[in-house]
Amino acid sequence: MKQVWQNMVYLWRRKTAFRMAACYLMLLLLLALVLPLLPLPYGPDELDYAHTFQPPFEPTTAPDKARHLLGTDSVGRDVLSNILYGARTALLISVPVMLLATLLGLILGAGAGFYADRGFTMRRSSFCVLVLGMVCFCYYGFYLPIQITRVGLGATALAASLLTCALLLMLLSGFFVLLHKRVTSLRKRIAVPVDQMVLRLIEGLSTIPRLVLILVLASFLPPSVVLLSLILVLTIWTSVARLARAEMLRIKQLPYFEAAKSIGLSTNQLLLRHALPNLAGPVLVAFTFGLGGLLALESTLSFLNIGVPTTLVSWGRMIANIRSDTSAWWMVVFPGGFLTFTVLAFYTCSHYLTQIFSKNTRG
Amino acid sequence: MLYYFLKRLLLAIPALWLMATAVFLLSRLLPGSFATDRILENSAGYYSKGAESDRQAAYQSYIRRTGLDQPLFYFSLAPATQPTDSLNRLYSETKQARLRKLAWHYGSEHNAEAYLSSTELIDKQLQTYPDASLKHHLQTLRAEVKYHPLQDAARKVAVVASHPQVKQAAKQVLERLQTMQQERASFAFLVPQVSWHGRQNQYHQWLMRLLQGDMGTSYRSSRPVLALLTEAIGNTWWLLICSMAITLALSLELSILMVKKKGRFLRKLLLPFLFITDSIPVFVLALLLLVLLANPDFIQLFPVYGMGYYSPQRLSFWQQLSQWWQYMTLPMLCLVLSSLPYITNQVYASIHSAMQADYTRTARAKGLAEGAVIRRHILRNSLLPIITIASDILPALVAGTLIIETIFAVPGIGRLLIDSVLARDYPVLIGIVLVIAAFRIIAFLLADLGYAWADPRIKQQLA
Repeated sequence: MKQVWQNMVYLWRRKTAFRMAACYLMLLLLLALVLPLLPLPYGPDELDYAHTFQPPFEPTTAPDKARHLLGTDSVGRDVLSNILYGARTALLISVPVMLLATLLGLILGAGAGFYADRGFTMRRSSFCVLVLGMVCFCYYGFYLPIQITRVGLGATALAASLLTCALLLMLLSGFFVLLHKRVTSLRKRIAVPVDQMVLRLIEGLSTIPRLVLILVLASFLPPSVVLLSLILVLTIWTSVARLARAEMLRIKQLPYFEAAKSIGLSTNQLLLRHALPNLAGPVLVAFTFGLGGLLALESTLSFLNIGVPTTLVSWGRMIANIRSDTSAWWMVVFPGGFLTFTVLAFYTCSHYLTQIFSKNTRG
Repeated sequence: MLYYFLKRLLLAIPALWLMATAVFLLSRLLPGSFATDRILENSAGYYSKGAESDRQAAYQSYIRRTGLDQPLFYFSLAPATQPTDSLNRLYSETKQARLRKLAWHYGSEHNAEAYLSSTELIDKQLQTYPDASLKHHLQTLRAEVKYHPLQDAARKVAVVASHPQVKQAAKQVLERLQTMQQERASFAFLVPQVSWHGRQNQYHQWLMRLLQGDMGTSYRSSRPVLALLTEAIGNTWWLLICSMAITLALSLELSILMVKKKGRFLRKLLLPFLFITDSIPVFVLALLLLVLLANPDFIQLFPVYGMGYYSPQRLSFWQQLSQWWQYMTLPMLCLVLSSLPYITNQVYASIHSAMQADYTRTARAKGLAEGAVIRRHILRNSLLPIITIASDILPALVAGTLIIETIFAVPGIGRLLIDSVLARDYPVLIGIVLVIAAFRIIAFLLADLGYAWADPRIKQQLA
């Protein structure tokens, strides 16, 4: 961890491009956070029918009204405030999604690399409890509550369902604890092929292109930011997982790790104290790179108007306005340029980080 | 070798089956079908003034024809109170929802159905003997689920109603309401019930038809999915193949130029340019080019949208080709520009590492010219990673075509996909997913063939 920080400080001091990109990104983040407090003359959804398709940098026609600095779109929305609020939306969606996806990918990828196919074992009885418990949970903890809220049965029914779920889980584990003492064959340990499972999952998710997958999944759900974020998390964790798995396999071979193993450290200590800090660098690279890609993906989706509600202020929605008048260049150039700049900044950071971390690992 | 390919192909079948099944099941789990949107629309346009009963009949015949009245899968796990009777599916969706609500609330599907049919009887009586004073109470009877308000409303209808027939019906409603309340089991929904439906289910029939090559018909245009796909696939195919070939050739040439000693200047110029191009999202790039090159305000070089107009006389092959090129150049340019950075980088890295190898030094020491060293010795050796890259960029290219076809209005698979996602046209969606997945599997197989061709040692390993 310390080394990652030192590397970043080194990059900040030595590489101007990295410093510029990092400065820009921090400013953008700050802007996104304080934006509602800023005195902008127009809101992002404010319609100004008197000034539609106004080119940028034109003086105002009505003396009592502020000018539209970067022009307006087909219904008179201010391009500047849409760009700023679009940046806010893009960051507010992408950063949490990427954080969650990185976490998921890190857990699954590092787990797959660490345990491989024979490393993770569990008793047969625990395996049975896990499988049956999952079924119970899916039915009483997930399916029934959804149906209950859909039918409108109220809180008592919801509580009853969840209570049944907890009760069944307790009964199940109690039953198997008793059985465990009687039946010896249940005590045998079986290996769970974690690596195979994760690899198959990644393979399955990447059989069809990611954008197609996201579009198809989005067609099943009503347009909503939360659901779309969920879809994004569930589809983009694979790249982080792949990287984390490869890094984990590499770390497992290193002498220091074998030494740690040989002095009899517990799995937790091995993973948390010795493996994870070394994973931090590559994961940070994947995080910044993925964030850039995610920004582009989010605006592509809102440009296509799939998966997001039309009320969501975003760069993609602004750019989509160009379809009604192709000579209104300012509706592509400003938001598109802003988007490109942001993606470029993320890619620059990730580029320098990759460079320095690969130099470190080479020795 | 042949054995290996057969194995790969056979392994691909379960993957395709799983994918199609997942899309099918997910699409059918959704509440609100296409038919209810279209047929039962009350506030439809000026021309659809059909009576409620006509619409109901049309809906029922649609549901029967498409097999939507059957259960979804071979078996189902649902609360015992959930109405599973296949006849229920013939009801309109609002009635289904009402029945479900009552059944869950009172814990008996049978009683709920009896109650619901009795309230319908009142409605029928009121059609012959209209009575405006009952409107409020009837609304309660139709929307409420709790017992006391329902009882109140039913009593009031029985008291207020002027006609004995209506009174009779109201009394029946009250009776059935009381039975429902007496036999009420509030938490009956906690008991699960597994029911086996056998082969008479939607999934089985869909799968059987799919195996016979029938992908169903589009919800939107009622045309066979297969016809839609074959129509669209040609444009996408040529767009993809041409831009892929151009991209690969360009990236190879550029990389060769860059690794040469004289290419230092080019390298300093090109690599940052490619880095910046890489960060421009495809749709922004496409729109920028569109605004710049196909716009009367700037430079009108290319036609903007579509694939050309219908011309009355038959054009010769060359005329057709030239017209096709006019419309395809801009989309192709976008696709090439968007995929060039990544590929050039990879190809350059692979050639660059081959430059450092011993055999290169030997070739140089023999006194071969630089061009000959690169083309004869280095290129052959760096082919393996390049083949991997060529099969790897397919998803990126497919994603790019999606967006580019939408922007330039090219009638291909990508645009069909976007349109069907927007219209929730699931049969077409399943077809497209299958086509894309099959395409990718074939690409992997071709990549394997390419490996065997580039490195004969691999052939022996596979055999």
